[in-house]
Amino acid sequence: MVNVWKQAGLVLIMLCAAMCSAADKEHGTLIREATLYASPGANSATLVQAERGSDLTILEKSNADNQTWAKVYVTLQQGQQTRELTGWAPAKAIITPSTANGDQIIFGQAVASEHQAEERGGRKQAAQDAMQLYARVPQLFPGSPLAAEAMWRSADIRWQLAKADFLRSGTQLEERYLKEVMARFPQSKQAELAAYDLLEAKLCPEWRGMAECPEKESALFEQYTREHPQSAKAAEALYNAAWRQAALADIYRIENETAKSEAARKKALALAQQVAGQYAQGDWKPRAADLVYKLEKKIPVYGQTVE
Amino acid sequence: MVKKMKWSVLAFLLALSAGWAQAQEKEQGTVISEVNMYVSPDSSGQQLARATRGRNVILVMDRTTIAGRSWAHVLVVVDVDIERQSERQISGWVPANVLITTATPNGDQIIYGEAVDSEIQAQERGGRRHAAEDAMRLFYRLYEYFPSSPLAGEALWRAADIRWQREKGDVRLRPSSREMDPNMREGMDDQTLKLVIKKFPHTKWADLASFDLIDNKLCGSWKGETKCPEKESELYEKYAREHPQSPKANEALFNAAWRQAALVDMYKASHENDKSEKARRKSMELAQEIAAHAQEGDWKPQALELMYALQQGIPTYDVENKKPIS
Repeated sequence: MVNVWKQAGLVLIMLCAAMCSAADKEHGTLIREATLYASPGANSATLVQAERGSDLTILEKSNADNQTWAKVYVTLQQGQQTRELTGWAPAKAIITPSTANGDQIIFGQAVASEHQAEERGGRKQAAQDAMQLYARVPQLFPGSPLAAEAMWRSADIRWQLAKADFLRSGTQLEERYLKEVMARFPQSKQAELAAYDLLEAKLCPEWRGMAECPEKESALFEQYTREHPQSAKAAEALYNAAWRQAALADIYRIENETAKSEAARKKALALAQQVAGQYAQGDWKPRAADLVYKLEKKIPVYGQTVE
Repeated sequence: MVKKMKWSVLAFLLALSAGWAQAQEKEQGTVISEVNMYVSPDSSGQQLARATRGRNVILVMDRTTIAGRSWAHVLVVVDVDIERQSERQISGWVPANVLITTATPNGDQIIYGEAVDSEIQAQERGGRRHAAEDAMRLFYRLYEYFPSSPLAGEALWRAADIRWQREKGDVRLRPSSREMDPNMREGMDDQTLKLVIKKFPHTKWADLASFDLIDNKLCGSWKGETKCPEKESELYEKYAREHPQSPKANEALFNAAWRQAALVDMYKASHENDKSEKARRKSMELAQEIAAHAQEGDWKPQALELMYALQQGIPTYDVENKKPIS
């Protein structure tokens, strides 16, 4: 009986040691896509291509072909399939927390990938690369001054890609990543931007001429401005609230609800004047001036132009 | 005789100044919404043409109010054949509320606001057709009719840049766009960008226009030849030195550094080790300059990433396939 307990204890100790050892292993990421090989050296059998921004666990290092190789454990997401495997990759493309300026280097490659994604004929999957690379910055360098910005950019790219999917196939938008930005960096510029993105999940996909959509959306945007007056998106939110009120004025006019139309017009005017008064810099003041003019001259902003 | 001549010169000058004053008073502008032009101030009357946003209203001839609705009799430059891009002037009546003229209070702000809206429309998926052209025309009208507006410089630059980017897109579709030598292909029309530099010298807008102009001097394709990145690196570095305050100065310096990094790989492949090493040092030097000066924004991390790639020997140019490693 004592022997059984001894054996069980030994197993537990070994398990704990293995877990501790895995937890101790250095994590890293790739700043270029890399082929994983079965053994160190470019002449050995190739296993798989790992993308930029992949989350790697470095298991050991070795020298071959006059360069350092790292044995890595990687989880690869290929469509719906998840593959977990180990392989060897040239160490030079792997950035770890011990790399000098590692946070800046990963961030720099993420920016370059983002530019690629925006370019006509840019690299395929560049947006996904940028998203993964940005996500690695707060993970590998939690104390970096770039951590908040990187986490926000990663969440925003994910959100924009999901939005495109939503428009194509109606796939539900996942709010988790944006909410994580708000939880980890509360009161920051990035948290305010994340909160602004999240408004999109509450907007109507189509108005179909119904007043309730712009009513609700205008209130949402106005509330955002009140709650985030310092946000980089405050002027845009207030303008959006004003524009929706202007659209409401037209919708109510078409429905012959004159009093409601006039109330919406007045509300739109007040909000647009607030934009022009509060945000003198950038494009928002002229845009508000344009909206004020249209409201004063009763030029429709929604539906058919009446001549 | 001399007295007579003096009088006639004076009379001529007076007439000239009166004409000039009249020209100054001439009400001109544009429309901020797409409208039909009618033979008479009546929307059930015969339609003459459709005036799109930003069209040049070269003269407001008359105004009237009928049944509580204001109308303006205008002379407009309109497109009659979009394919041929031919234009002609046409006169007709338009609803006065969409007409913004030199006499409209805040006219510059209103036109600019409508131009920004059109620009956003042009960038949106499923946005209004021809919205980019609308934005381009509106921005230009602002500069044309409100030259002393604080928005004039930026408006002219934005009009010129939209034109430039649109032409760049067209040029890319032509087979000649792959020509290595920029002189072997038809470049973009640089007239409006040069106007920005001329009218608003030593401004941010002039700096931005100068940066766009570099596009016409770049190789269509490098085809693995070192002379292209050599020349382009030089062009970008020269820009950064001549426009140190430009918002594009760091980008230009990074472009120069990146091209030198590509040269490292090109020279290495042709076993020109000295040249490769020289390019590596130059690239490092330029990237270090960015990292030291660009404290804000994305250029410092990009420069540090390039420096890391150079130090580790990570290639930036695929010599075999003759293309940059993006």
